[in-house]
Formats: sequence, C-alpha cells, structure tokens
Amino acid sequence: MTALDWIVIAAAVAAIGIVNWYFFIASRGKPPMRHEH
Amino acid sequence: MDAHDGHEAREASAQAPVRRESIRIPVTGMTCAACQARVQSALARQPGVDDASVNLMMENAAITFDPALTSPEQLVSAVRATGYGAELPAPERSPLAEQEALDRSQRDELRAMTQRAVVSVVAGAVAMLLPMILPMQSRLLPPALLALSAAIILFAGRHFYVHAWQALRHHSADMDTLIAAGTGAAFIYSLMATFAPGFFLAHGVAPNLYYEAVIVIIALVLTGNVFEARAKRSTSSALRALVELQPATARVVRGDAVTEVPVTSVVAGDVLLVRPGERIPVDGEVISGSSAVDESMLTGESLPVEKSTGARVIGATVNRTGAFHYRATTVGADSTLARIVRLMRDAQSSRAPVQALADRVSSIFVPVVISLSIATFAIWFVALHASGAIPGTATVRAFAAAVAVLIIACPCAMGLAVPTAVMVATGRGAESGILIKGGEALQRIGDVTTVVLDKTGTITEGAPAVTDVIVAPGAEHDANTLLALAASLESQSAHPLADAIVRYADGRGLARQSIQSNEYIVGRGATGVVGEVALAIGNAALMSDWAVSTAALDDRARALAGDGKTIVFVAANGALAGLLAVADPIRATSRAAIDRLEAMGLAVVMLTGDDERTASAIARAAGIERVVAGVLPDGKVAEIARLQRGGAVVAMVGDGVNDAPALAQADIGIAMGGGAAIAAEAADVVLMRSDLGTVVQAILLSRRTMRTMRQNLFWAFIYNVIGIPVAAGALYPAFGLLLSPVLASAAMAFSSVSVVTNSLRLRRASLS
Repeated sequence: MTALDWIVIAAAVAAIGIVNWYFFIASRGKPPMRHEH
Repeated sequence: MDAHDGHEAREASAQAPVRRESIRIPVTGMTCAACQARVQSALARQPGVDDASVNLMMENAAITFDPALTSPEQLVSAVRATGYGAELPAPERSPLAEQEALDRSQRDELRAMTQRAVVSVVAGAVAMLLPMILPMQSRLLPPALLALSAAIILFAGRHFYVHAWQALRHHSADMDTLIAAGTGAAFIYSLMATFAPGFFLAHGVAPNLYYEAVIVIIALVLTGNVFEARAKRSTSSALRALVELQPATARVVRGDAVTEVPVTSVVAGDVLLVRPGERIPVDGEVISGSSAVDESMLTGESLPVEKSTGARVIGATVNRTGAFHYRATTVGADSTLARIVRLMRDAQSSRAPVQALADRVSSIFVPVVISLSIATFAIWFVALHASGAIPGTATVRAFAAAVAVLIIACPCAMGLAVPTAVMVATGRGAESGILIKGGEALQRIGDVTTVVLDKTGTITEGAPAVTDVIVAPGAEHDANTLLALAASLESQSAHPLADAIVRYADGRGLARQSIQSNEYIVGRGATGVVGEVALAIGNAALMSDWAVSTAALDDRARALAGDGKTIVFVAANGALAGLLAVADPIRATSRAAIDRLEAMGLAVVMLTGDDERTASAIARAAGIERVVAGVLPDGKVAEIARLQRGGAVVAMVGDGVNDAPALAQADIGIAMGGGAAIAAEAADVVLMRSDLGTVVQAILLSRRTMRTMRQNLFWAFIYNVIGIPVAAGALYPAFGLLLSPVLASAAMAFSSVSVVTNSLRLRRASLS
C-alpha cells in the first residue's frame, strides 16, 4: 500500500460519508414525510 | 410523539365544522418510485393537506385538503417546486373527457420520447462506426465524438440531468441521478482526455474516450423508457377501450323530427331513437319498441338481453335486433359508463399494500448505490495498484466498474412491479364484468377464507316466481281460470308475491277480468270480487278468517313449503279453489359456482332473513351446508363479525343496497347486480353480472395478480442483488468477468421491460 492508495481510500470514505450525510442526515432538517395511516 | 400530537390535533379539529376538499392534479415528468415519493412528501408537507397520494402510472396526485389553509394553485406550485410539471385540472370535465385528454398527452409524450430514442440510437451507431471510418489516430476523432455526445446529452438526455439536479437540491435521488452521475462522470473524464491528453500520458495512461459509451447508455435507457411507456399504455388499454365505447352522436326525437346531435348535448328527459346495430348513446328507460341488447362490453354477459317497454338500457351497449325509443335518464358524469371509468381510474391509481415494500427500498436505494459505486472505484484502484498496474490503468478500469454499478442499479423495475400488475388486473377484471375498487381490494380478495352469500338476489334470482299451480279436487275452476282470476285481483297490489302471480299469468297470455271490489290485508292477502266470483287469495290465516277449509290440499302445501316455497291459497265463492306455490328460484349458475368455491377450499355460508325451513331448502338445492337463517340486516353484521373473530377472512356477497352494512363489515364486500351496484359505497368489488361464477373469477384473478406481483418484486430485487456485484467486479477474480457500462445499461432496460411484460401476461390469464 502506497501513499496514493491511502489517499484514494480516504477520499472514497469521505465521499461516501458526504453522500450519506447529504441524503439521509441533512434531509432530516425538513419535516418528515407524513405516513398514510 | 409528533405523530401522536398530530393525530390529536386532527381529532380536535374534526369536531369543528372543517371543510375538506379533494382534488386530482395531473403531474408530469415522473419516471420512477423515487420521483413519486418526492412529489408525495412535498405535497404532504404543505399546510392544510390531509392526505396526498401520488400515482406514477396515472401521472396524477390525489389530494385531500383544507381550503381555508391552502388552495389548488398553491398545491400546483408546490409540485412544480420539486421540478415536476403540474397543472390545475380542467373544471367540470367528465371522467370520459379527462381520460381522453390523458391518453392524448401520453401519446404525445410517447411520440417525443420515441423521437429522442431513435436519434440517440442512430448517434450511438455513428459513434461506434466513426473510429473505423476515420484513420485510427485521426486528430478529428475526439472533437467529432465530443460534439456528437454533447448534442445527444443536450437534445435527448437533457431531462435526466435536469431531474437529477432538481432532486439533488431536495436532498433526494432517483434513477435519473444514477444515469446522470454515470454518464456525466464518463463525459467529464473523456472531456479531460480530449483537452489534456498530455496530463494522462504523463502518468502513463492512454487518454481513453468514453463518448460513445455516454451516447449508447442514453440511447439504451431511452429505448427502455419507450418500451416501458408503450407497455404502460397497453396496461391501461381496457380503460381506453371503455372510453372509446361512448358513441359521438345520438338521435334525439323532438316533436316529429329526429335530429342527430352530439351526445354531450343530450340531457336527462330527452327521447332518443336507437336503430338496430347502433350503440345506445346514454342510459335510459325504454318507452316504446323492443330489442335485444348486447351488454357484454359492460357486464361480460355474452347473450343479448331482451329489452321492452320499461326496461333500463345502458349507454355504450349495442342494440342488436329492433329499433326502439327511450328516455334518457342519466347523462355525462353520472352515466353508468362514466361511473365505471371513474371507478376504474381510482382503482388503477390506488396502491396495493405490497407496494410499500418497493417504495421503502427505492428511497434508500440510490444513496446506497452511489456509495457502492465509490467503494467499487476505491477497491479496484487499490487492488490493481497493489497487483502492479500503473496508477493510470488502475484509474481507468476502476472508473469503468464504478460507472457500470451506477448504471445497472436503476430501481425502475421495482417501481413498476406492483402498479403495472394492478392496472392490468383491474382492466382484465372489467372485461369480465368485475370492477375492483383498488389495489388493496385486489390484494385482499385472494386471501379470503370464507364466502358469505346473501340469499335473495345473490343465490336466487331475487324476484319470486310461481312454480306450481294446483287445483283443489272438485273445484269449479280449472288452472287457467284460477290464475286469471288471481292475477286480476292481484294486479292492483304492490306485494312481491302478487307481482309474481301477475307476471306468471301474463306470461301465459291469460286475459284479466274486471274487478268489482278489492281489499288488501297486510300479512294475510287480498279479497275482492272479480267478475262474478268472490275471491280470497292469501295464506292459511286468511282462509281460516274466511272459514275456508284447506284440508284437501294441506299435504301438498306442506310438501311444497318443505321445499322452501311460499303457499298462496285461492278460495272462490267460499270454497277452496286451489293453491299457488311461489318461490324465488335459484339462479342457474349458483350451484356450479358454489361447488367451485368449496373446491377452492373456501367455506361458504348462506345468510338470510328467511325462516329456517325455507332457508335450508334453498341451501340444500344450492349445495350449501352452513346456513344462518332468520337474521336481520344488523344480525348479518354480527354474524360476519363472529366469523372474523374466529380468524376467517370474510367476503360478503350481496346486492349492495340492502346489504351495505354487512358489505362494509366484511373484509371484502362484493356487490352484485350491475348498474345500481356500481354506486354501492360499501363494496370493494362490483359484479356487473348477476352470476356467482364471477365471484370465483374475482378470487382467481386476485390470486393470479398477487403471484405476478411477487414474481415481479422477486425479479426486480434479484436483478439488483446479482447485477450490482457483477458490475462491481465480484466475478472478476474467479472468471475475469466485468460488465462494461454499455452492457449494464442494456441489462437495466431489459429488467424494466421484463417486469412490465410479466404483468401484461395477466391480460390473457384464464379465469375459469
């Protein structure tokens, strides 16, 4: 494993983190979806 | 906690007189379950919205709202803010006109979509041939491909990027996000390779171009969309066929003249003329003439029905043999055809409970796929690098795998799995005269364990008929005279038994005689003088009032009563003249249908208000073992509730008018008996034909449909479960197998088409 590998892995982990934060956590600031029942 | 508070608030406000309005807003541009979820949650967040249900297939949103807090205009702009098209529904349009407008817009959309698909397929072919035509290292090749792919992105694929961007701004993602991310990444990578090849070469990488992949992916996705849209159109073909039944013009009789006018200008009360071979324009009642009418398109009944004066005719059915005049009764939005179309539209846009699973999965699906795609890139890069590949090669191959993951993981097959099956099945049902009010009802019928049948009008014809005429030994009148006398007296009575006697006498062509005097005694019968004869017609109590001995016929009477028949004695001039037996005959189709239900493993129970003896006679003849007799309407509800407590899933079959509470109590309420039954609010299923065989068909249809839905969901899930790892390169270490982005997009298109095709098989499902 070279430094380049670690940079790619770190970047990927960060990107995955951002994606999940954006879609799952940041979207929670809005009122939750109403349930139909 | 929030939900709890909200619930209380709603209950509190429900006590104040709060107005509620419902509206159905057409929504355009939705392509998958995630789009639908987005529009739905945007609407649900609006103040004053009680309930919002968005339907992807019908492209509309059904909203219940408080007009004090919001307005249709605000709701439309709320939908537009999410990036989809919406408009106010045209006011006062009949369901027929609405359906036609929807058809037209779907047809236009399909045409535009086909155009874009064809152009991009041609461009894809050109892009693949170009490198063969131009010299290998031509400096013209990269700019030519760049121009071509940019043109395709802008012309054919623009909506993918627009939708993806709009979704992104709302923290959500759908299949367009995946396609936009996949092709966008490939395009930007190629762009860099075109303008800065030196940068790539400096790192020992060939500046590979993915332009043709971008074009081919867009072309394949669009082609898949076109097939999908065409299949979606054919799933609603049953509905379209119904709308097309409505004739354009009607012949109205005004004074002596007959004028042909557009059917929309016919009003209730108009007298219309229908000739043989024509379609009956609107609902009405025959006032003169007679004919046989083919009602198969609405009821599924194959034999023409005889119509004469007084008979009701239904708009859109075909007049076969004779010409007749009739008076229009219901027109426009209230007509039988319009009600059927509306009922079917609502049913098709409703959602089956099994859909919830698909929705939940697709809302978390896209972010997960994007994460997987990034992980794929990182893992491939590190693995290739570690195994000695130069960073450049590693980047290119890791990149291709990551793009393939994005492309293959489209959740659209999942979004289509349930709604297409609901649409095809409701259409298939309507063709057989079975109207199912929604996906939930469709799903539940198949789970039924007990079928409760009302007796009158369900197992039996519902109208009593004379079955036996017996002349007393030594009586002065023969059977025909006896009947003629009885019919003459009873012709003034509204009692159902009287009606049966009159119809029977009329059927035999017996002339009525003049009535000198008459009296009708509730619970007894009728007395009077007909011609020269003093008559008493009624039950044994009436005979004993009149001191007429029934001894001569008592044995026969008892035997007939044992068969469930009602006995009407006739006394003439103080002596017993004979008796008439009246019974509500069992429908010809009932016995076979009940046997079939039992063969399917269902418990069949008969409920009736009749006394035990009559009830068990009918039950014996119909082949039913479990009978509950002597129950009043609320007794029926209690009986069904009792069965339900015992764990049974109960379907109640009744006429929809008298049985409304029982239909509502049952898990599935089935109203039988055509036009009037459509209005039955309590019913989940309406049978246009008075034939218990259609109950069997409804259950079979539901079972088939559920099987199709499960197959669809299974294949859609499995496809992703297998497709994503393969695209990520899971098979590479063992088999050296990698999916190119182009192949991934073909597989994705194939999965949607296969799900829709599987649903379409329901159209040809045999229900016998």
